[in-house]
Amino acid sequence: MAPRLRSGGNGLSPLLLTCVEGLSQRGGSRPLAGLTAIIQNQSQRITTPRSSSRSPPCSAPFSTSAPCELNREQRRMWAWLRGQGKKFKTAPDPDQPGPDGDTARGNGGGPNYVGSFDGTQVFRNNKLFKSEPVLSEKARDAIFSAVVEDQLPLKAVSQKFGVDMRRIAAVVRMRSIERNWIASKKPLAKPYQRAVLAMLPQADLNPGEMPFEPINDIHVHMATMQQLFHPTSESRHFTRRDAAKAFGAHTLPPDHKLRIPEMIDLERKLASGVPSEEAHDEFVAQTARTEASRAKRLKGRRTMAELNRTRVATDRFEFRFENFNSSAVGRTGRGRTAVGWRYGVPSHDRKPDQVKIPTKME
Amino acid sequence: MVVKMRLARFGRRNQPFYNIVVTQARTARDSRPLEVIGTYDPIPKGDSYDTSGKLHKDIKLDKRRAQYWVGVGAQPTETVWRLLSMIGILQPKVNPPLPKQRAVPKWTGLFDTKKAPASKKPNAPPPQPN
Repeated sequence: MAPRLRSGGNGLSPLLLTCVEGLSQRGGSRPLAGLTAIIQNQSQRITTPRSSSRSPPCSAPFSTSAPCELNREQRRMWAWLRGQGKKFKTAPDPDQPGPDGDTARGNGGGPNYVGSFDGTQVFRNNKLFKSEPVLSEKARDAIFSAVVEDQLPLKAVSQKFGVDMRRIAAVVRMRSIERNWIASKKPLAKPYQRAVLAMLPQADLNPGEMPFEPINDIHVHMATMQQLFHPTSESRHFTRRDAAKAFGAHTLPPDHKLRIPEMIDLERKLASGVPSEEAHDEFVAQTARTEASRAKRLKGRRTMAELNRTRVATDRFEFRFENFNSSAVGRTGRGRTAVGWRYGVPSHDRKPDQVKIPTKME
Repeated sequence: MVVKMRLARFGRRNQPFYNIVVTQARTARDSRPLEVIGTYDPIPKGDSYDTSGKLHKDIKLDKRRAQYWVGVGAQPTETVWRLLSMIGILQPKVNPPLPKQRAVPKWTGLFDTKKAPASKKPNAPPPQPN
């Protein structure tokens, strides 16, 4: 039932009734049928000839009612309909890019939300829940092929795509698990993936776009937050290493805390005019060398650990005996790396600020 | 006073973790020992990237100190003996065989009209009716 509106003082009232009837009868398929009816009627009204030159343009020729000047709310409505509301005149086509130009939202056009939607809002009614962009399937495939097929060093892949090394490692791990699942014919949750990714803003990592995230940030050590006045001679060449030593005995300078220190050389070469391709090739070669030496060191460490280990296989389990020096308990006998459950130390299981879940991949 | 090499239980409920300790026999199980020479985690674990499902048990043992205590006469318990024998510090313990149980004759009722069944032993003489 259409609500009754007061007529008088407002020449649009019979048209507003029509508008509301139109909305209630036709449901959601053509939400603006009534509004388009208003626009058409108003234009018709403006073009009809006036009986008297003194009567205002939008009133009926025989009417003596006051002129229908739009009030503030009506003026704002018309301004919105002509401005932001223009995109709601026609229903979105799922095969075309959406009105905000966002094609990465699942099914092309996507829903046309009233109200500001900058793509980071995940839930329509919750403005406070904003999401950072998430790697799209295309981006993940590109990263996986760069690491596994092109065999590029991790640091080079990180610099190429502007993605943190830990995230690249996670992508490679998840993709290989997915491949194993497909090979062993396990069902994948594809509909769930599509639904969740459609809600989130996605990043394709196209060249020329903004970098996805900072990849070479240095962690700020608490010891370096203190302001120090370190007297030193003027002739002395005070380096970052000296500054780190001044803050603490085991504090590292920023050069040793960078995740990808080879990028400094790369930027220096690019700044000094070396051609981009040559500089990047040299960067990839440098990172390959450092990663190879690191892999060699890790392998050596594992071989040394294996010398101290005895493996005994029984019919059920393998018993791994690790030899160690029980006298290596530190200066006070309470060394952190000493072997054995401690005596007289209470359990911290119920303490609230303890991390009780694994913090790294093993 | 016997010096023993035994396991002291720590860990959590249903999640034991043992210290391999050398201590006097009459002290409490979890009290401070003479020396801690290793740890034993009885719960088998798998490797992260191993899909075969094989499990292993992690044991840390100071071989040098274990050999010393065995040499001066510390008595290991059953489990500790088993672990020491796995790495060759002690000979595996051979327990004597359990006594064989004789076959119990089947109950055939109050009025024994049928003959008693023959004994299962191959060389035993046939049972004499009493």
